[in-house]
Amino acid sequence: MSTVVKAEAKLQSLGEITPSRRAGVIYRNSDDVAFLKDIRTELDTVLYQGVGATKTAFEIVDDDRGMRWIVLEDGKFNDLVSSVYTVGNAIGANGGSEYLIAAVFELYFTGTVEDNTYRSGLRTYWIYRYDRKAFYPFVPTGENEGDRDRPTEARLGHDLRKHGLTIEKSLTEWMGLWGIPF
Amino acid sequence: MYFTMFMLGILYAIFGLFLIASGMPILFVGGIVGVMVVVQYYLSDRLILMSTGAKQVSESEEPELHRMVKLLADRYGMPMPKVAVINTQIPNAFATGRNPKNALVAVTTGIQQRLSERELQAVIGHELAHVANRDMRVLAVANFLVTLTSFLMTMLFWNMLFGGMGGRRNNGGGAVMMVYLVTIVVYFIGQLLVLALTRYREYGADHTGAEISGDPGALADALEKISGTVNQIPDKDLRKLQTANAFLIIPAALKGEGSMHLFSTHPPLQERIKRLRELEQRMRYGVR
Repeated sequence: MSTVVKAEAKLQSLGEITPSRRAGVIYRNSDDVAFLKDIRTELDTVLYQGVGATKTAFEIVDDDRGMRWIVLEDGKFNDLVSSVYTVGNAIGANGGSEYLIAAVFELYFTGTVEDNTYRSGLRTYWIYRYDRKAFYPFVPTGENEGDRDRPTEARLGHDLRKHGLTIEKSLTEWMGLWGIPF
Repeated sequence: MYFTMFMLGILYAIFGLFLIASGMPILFVGGIVGVMVVVQYYLSDRLILMSTGAKQVSESEEPELHRMVKLLADRYGMPMPKVAVINTQIPNAFATGRNPKNALVAVTTGIQQRLSERELQAVIGHELAHVANRDMRVLAVANFLVTLTSFLMTMLFWNMLFGGMGGRRNNGGGAVMMVYLVTIVVYFIGQLLVLALTRYREYGADHTGAEISGDPGALADALEKISGTVNQIPDKDLRKLQTANAFLIIPAALKGEGSMHLFSTHPPLQERIKRLRELEQRMRYGVR
């Protein structure tokens, strides 16, 4: 996960990208797992107690596809990333590893149109799939399944790999997430 | 690349000496193949037009294409090449001609439709780079060597077959057999070297084209679009995959592409795209 911070810092220093304050962890909810059942209390402990707690604000959202999102909000990107890591880790370590689907970071392109860099203001997500242990970029262009800017994603994928992020090698695994609740 | 050329030179110099020493009619065979290759070399543009069904187009027929080729030719400092269009949906483009004066550049209607102006320009820039880099000449020499060897191989094969059946040759059979075996070995090594060489020329043209256009990303985008790699990115939502078996999939391991690379004329697309993207980064931000 620390590679996310590095890759983001690099791209931000190049003036190409800026992080939003939000990120999320998505998983398939299950009452069979005690930790998931008491998720609110558990996350309060994990994110707020103890030395070095990031105190990142979180919200629990159930989407219309029956999945649960832990939406995290933090102005400090470093803290945001480490909170995502902590949440994923806590769920994984407490019997929820097979329910974890992905961690998602939201970022914006700040590059300019003129010099053929990324379109400014375009929203992008960096998706980390827990099963594949790899990232890939996602640039939705609409709410419907399949609406995505593939060339930009391919391009961003190259850049991110170059800056040290583990990018999913098989493009067929770059599945989107439409209607992200943040 | 120079190492490959050097190896090729050495290989064939030794082979030539070996053939002369073994008393083969090397000059005769070399002459025939030489004429074939020279004819091909000088008539390449016309031969290509005939064999691909490319139709030469005038400026009034394809003003946009002409304007684009003209602009690029000017940047390379070469005269305006002939422009042709091939009527097929398969996206492709090529250039030919023994020198910039006799160049021909052809694109398919498929590629015209699919690429943006910026991308098509990058593709044509790449093709003209082949002409500017005199790749036809390199190809002709390589072609000559490979054709010569395969010609010899066939000749020796029949020679052995009939020589053997005649059976009246003293000592000849063994020597011919040996020359034959050496020829086969040279043929295969030579073939691999030539393929390596053409792959280097591809990278070279990518590079030259990028320098001329100042936009390596455009060719990378075009290659991605043509190859359909980008279309591998699915329409599917990740949440549809959230069943237990999703976790049994072996994580993205290095897929073995291995030795097939040795036998292809073009470098793997992913590698070309990667290099272009790196070049793009360097050109955008300076060397880092």
